[in-house]
Amino acid sequence: MTDFLGYERSDGSIGIRNFVPIIATAPYANDTVKRAAEIVDDAIPITHPLGRCQTKPDVFQTYRTLLGYATHPNTYGAVVVAHAGEIVDGDELADDIAETGRPSASINIHDEKGVMNGLKATVNATREMVQDASAQQRQPHDISNLTFGINCATSDTTSGLCQHKATAGAAWRLIDEGGRAVFAETPEFFGGEEGLAERAVNDDVAQKILDYVDNWDQRLQETGYDVRGAQPTPDNMDGGLTTIEEKALGALVKSGDGPIQDLVDYAEQIPEESGMYIMDSPGHGAESVTGIGAGGAHFMIISTGQGHTLSNAIMPTIKITGNPGSAERVPEETDVDVSEALVGDQTIDWATDELWDEIMEVVNGKQTLSEVLGESQFAIHRIGPST
Amino acid sequence: MGDSHIVAVESDDNVATAIRELEDGETVTVGVGDDEVRVEVTEDVTFGHKIALEDIPEGETVYKYGLSIGYASRDIEAGEWVHAHNVESNYGRGDLAEETA
Repeated sequence: MTDFLGYERSDGSIGIRNFVPIIATAPYANDTVKRAAEIVDDAIPITHPLGRCQTKPDVFQTYRTLLGYATHPNTYGAVVVAHAGEIVDGDELADDIAETGRPSASINIHDEKGVMNGLKATVNATREMVQDASAQQRQPHDISNLTFGINCATSDTTSGLCQHKATAGAAWRLIDEGGRAVFAETPEFFGGEEGLAERAVNDDVAQKILDYVDNWDQRLQETGYDVRGAQPTPDNMDGGLTTIEEKALGALVKSGDGPIQDLVDYAEQIPEESGMYIMDSPGHGAESVTGIGAGGAHFMIISTGQGHTLSNAIMPTIKITGNPGSAERVPEETDVDVSEALVGDQTIDWATDELWDEIMEVVNGKQTLSEVLGESQFAIHRIGPST
Repeated sequence: MGDSHIVAVESDDNVATAIRELEDGETVTVGVGDDEVRVEVTEDVTFGHKIALEDIPEGETVYKYGLSIGYASRDIEAGEWVHAHNVESNYGRGDLAEETA
């Protein structure tokens, strides 16, 4: 039994932060969202180029992602800003947020009669929510409430030999305590999918893993080009990774070797049952991390080789590297340096403890480097064309 | 004990990862499973890159983590640097899909 201090939500989830996001339903509300977040200290702007003129599968995915952020365990309440009538409907989103017991507000720029009135309404709704959130106190809760997000970034050949092992060690420690963990990036299973399927808890999950991998291989082949350069990326290749298979086999080390509970679609909620989950996503970090955040992971471990700015506004990201020199080259992109376990006298168990200790501090409120520096990206994966 | 800065992951791997700079002409000992393999390095190899532990003829599988990471696109000799210039992937090959379509 290990406790942490978190924020209680009326839907039963427990947050490690108490954020108020302002969410654009379409790009035409982005500027209002950004300006309101500049005025209201501590509000989190969520902006994107989607939510209008999309086909239905993309509409569902965009909506599911935005709702996932608005009702995330780390979210106190959310303000939704629409431009006019959108296929991703602002009022509907605000109602769905309210159903979880969170405060929500819906602003429509056209209904408010213009951008300036819309901005004022957005600032007023957000200001009130941020003040109310700041009055809430952290309470002790068991860490079994937590979901551990896992993603790699700027991988190199050190990743699969060192930092991914520490990441897996910490993730399985949380699962052993009754929590959940999730990793994604389906194209980065290429070459390792059979071993991954063997870890599935049943045949259905095993088949799902193989089908999703096959689907991605088909999608990539349909382009008519070799994927090398996109996967592995040029920086992966500089770091010694030769093929997508090599990158994938190293990448899978970060999931450990325990059973795979289930596979969920992009931005779907991670089930409550304790265990290791997979979310279907591309290997593009900004998109995979955005999906995992929408799924409700409380924090994200970015296991990196060369260092990366990859981070998220709602899910604090902790960056771990095992590449000696990365911490020196890119200090703002290294929260935990465990390279001594690769080139020095330290063990992987030591590296796992280093990461675990940092996680425990972060879930209790310590800010990560990307939080302090205000760095984050938000990119929803898209399926089909705009219309 | 082999050089701890040259890592072969599984006993059937035919490449190993250098976690230090390797110099053309040096002879290294690599622990592979329970055995040791001695290889003369035939070119400078950068940190994080791979060397061949044995000759890998063109078309043969390159093994790391005990699994395929692709195939040799030309004959590779023991001690050579192994990377994109002599290894091709079996996945995401839209270029090949078009040729066979």
